[in-house]
Amino acid sequence: MDSALILQARNLTKRYGANIIFQDISLDVQKGETIVIIGPSGTGKSTLLRCLNLLTHVDSGQIFLEGEEITAPGINEDRVRQQIGMVFQNFLLFNHLTALDNVMLGLTKVRKLPKPQAHEKAMHELARVGLADRAGHYPGQLSGGQQQRVAIARALAMDPKVMLFDEPTSALDPELIGEVLGVMAQLARENMTMLVVTHEMGFAREVADRIVFMEKGHIVEQGAPDDLFERPQHARTREFLWKITELYGKKEKK
Amino acid sequence: MKRFWLWLSLVLVVSLLLTACGGAGGSRLDAIKKAGVIKVGTSADYPPFEFVDASGNTTGFDVELMNEIGKRLGVKVEWVDMPFDSLIAGVQEGKIDAAIAAFNYSEDRDKVVDFSEVYYTSEDAFTVVESSSLAINDPASDILNLKIGVQTGTTQDDWLTALVDEGKLPAGNLSRYDRVDQIALDLKNGRIEVMMSDAVPAEALARQLGGLKVIYKGVLSSGPMNIVLPEGDAELAKAINEVLAQLKAEGFIDRLAVKYFAE
Amino acid sequence: MLTDFFLYIAQGTAVTIGVTLVALPFGLAVGLLLALLYNYGGRWVSRAAGLYSLLMRGVPPVVLLFILYFILSGRLINLSPFWAGSLSLGLVSSAYQMEILRGALAAVGAGQMTAARAIGLTRLQAIRFVILPQAIRLAIPPWSNEASIVLKDSSLVYALGVPEILRRAQQLSATTGQPFLAFGAAALIYFALVFLTNRALDSLAERTKLPTQPV
Repeated sequence: MDSALILQARNLTKRYGANIIFQDISLDVQKGETIVIIGPSGTGKSTLLRCLNLLTHVDSGQIFLEGEEITAPGINEDRVRQQIGMVFQNFLLFNHLTALDNVMLGLTKVRKLPKPQAHEKAMHELARVGLADRAGHYPGQLSGGQQQRVAIARALAMDPKVMLFDEPTSALDPELIGEVLGVMAQLARENMTMLVVTHEMGFAREVADRIVFMEKGHIVEQGAPDDLFERPQHARTREFLWKITELYGKKEKK
Repeated sequence: MKRFWLWLSLVLVVSLLLTACGGAGGSRLDAIKKAGVIKVGTSADYPPFEFVDASGNTTGFDVELMNEIGKRLGVKVEWVDMPFDSLIAGVQEGKIDAAIAAFNYSEDRDKVVDFSEVYYTSEDAFTVVESSSLAINDPASDILNLKIGVQTGTTQDDWLTALVDEGKLPAGNLSRYDRVDQIALDLKNGRIEVMMSDAVPAEALARQLGGLKVIYKGVLSSGPMNIVLPEGDAELAKAINEVLAQLKAEGFIDRLAVKYFAE
Repeated sequence: MLTDFFLYIAQGTAVTIGVTLVALPFGLAVGLLLALLYNYGGRWVSRAAGLYSLLMRGVPPVVLLFILYFILSGRLINLSPFWAGSLSLGLVSSAYQMEILRGALAAVGAGQMTAARAIGLTRLQAIRFVILPQAIRLAIPPWSNEASIVLKDSSLVYALGVPEILRRAQQLSATTGQPFLAFGAAALIYFALVFLTNRALDSLAERTKLPTQPV
């Protein structure tokens, strides 16, 4: 096995009743790699991310984290989730806690760090996303972009091996998208392993090491950004890229 | 209040079934003497039989009588104030050892509890507002067109309900109340035309509130009053009856009646 | 005379407050447990909790009072009228408090649970540190209403022979023939108690309110 292989998905299938969400998905993620998953809505991208950190369970297939099968029966799922960070479309900060306490909760309750150490670590992570001066603010007092950066800090505090981003900017006003993408780009430069589901093609093109195009529960094609954007192999990929560029352009004109 | 009564009956039926399954015990008399306390239930809102005086003590004809009975049995009376409706259930379920609250013997009650010998005989009364020109000679026919108020669960209630069941008294004419002073108030307010109750409290109310008069007195629904005792406890009944006989012979009860009922 | 009058009724206040102080926390404990079972307990446990709520809310409190006191107590456990009355009211209230809390738990939203699990908190930790602190804040206003109801329903224990405010007013009304004075005094005391309870809980809600204004 390649020593740089950190996350491996083999023949994953997920159904809800008779509905197949995705089928026979296999994906290898190298350490330090940034993968952007693109594709039309309802293609199973978000569900795939949720399956990767066991928030939802696949119906068949296997997932390995650093060679250990995390889909094996009897695995401690809480321990697995602790090692895979997740950032959600609608931030999902704990509304009753300050930014600092949001970041500290996992450190004190899951990693059982003593308060002073947890505090120091949490402040470090908030500084990393540029929000050290907002530590005492409640989510209700922060802008959407700031909330999402706190959410990123909360996930980073657990020192995850992989970070999953589920459309992290879709719920944001256009002027707030940049600050979140900035933090993510910086993480990529620091060689954090990242899987990002997004419609931000600019980000995908500049930051991703690899683009994965998913449609109707399948991976249609994947490759380096330049290859995929300039020379897509499949007609469906071309069609999607054309549509999303047009949409993106319209948004810009407004 | 009717619904309350219905629910209570339901509870009693269930409790009867449970009692049937439960074991039988000996006489409560031993337990009472051992504890030195007899728990007696009453409903202290029925002057002059039982009420709370200005200093907050439970007193009245029944209360003083029972205290004397306790004294002669060598035990202290612990008074438990309950709604009149709860008293029979309380005795039946052993929550209290006896109940005294101007109870009259009735066959229905006799099925679930026992009665002491008669300690006093009461009359029924019909009361109206002073300005009323109503006259009642033969109650069973004269009251049939009147709007009449009665206290729930009393013998007067039974007597009137029987008239309703026989189809003589329209059900809409009969109003049931929790307490007798509420009836007197509604009488004064003109919501009902006549109140049926025990004669003694009727006269007391008429004196206290003013503006009311008793237009008929006679033994109709009730009459003799008894202490309510647990079903089948002959020993306890015997002990209390013996004391009652003494008190009657000594004229104690007559003196008590003068104290509480004399005009 | 008038002050004696008022004092006699006011003595029942201790009983009223005592009954409420037993019934309300007892109902809260049972209600909270049931609300958690309802929301997180799986299908059958959830249904059982729902059925309990339906039964308790479908029976008049006074009936439960009689059942617990006259039938159960003595045969199974020997409860004094005060405890039988207080616990019965607590059971009735537990069903209403369960409804309040399960609504509040649902209002916190599934996303908070997902986010908590995503950083490795167990289900119980997530409920304790993330869901409950938010749900309880949401529950305070409707709970304040329930507290007033229990306070007022405490008068029902008189059916078991516990002399609280209302019963003392009834006795005085019967003795003195001044019902308006007697019940007026009782009403005044009840009103003061309910008013104070609501004010206290309002201020609690205000103090635990989460800041929302963007700074």
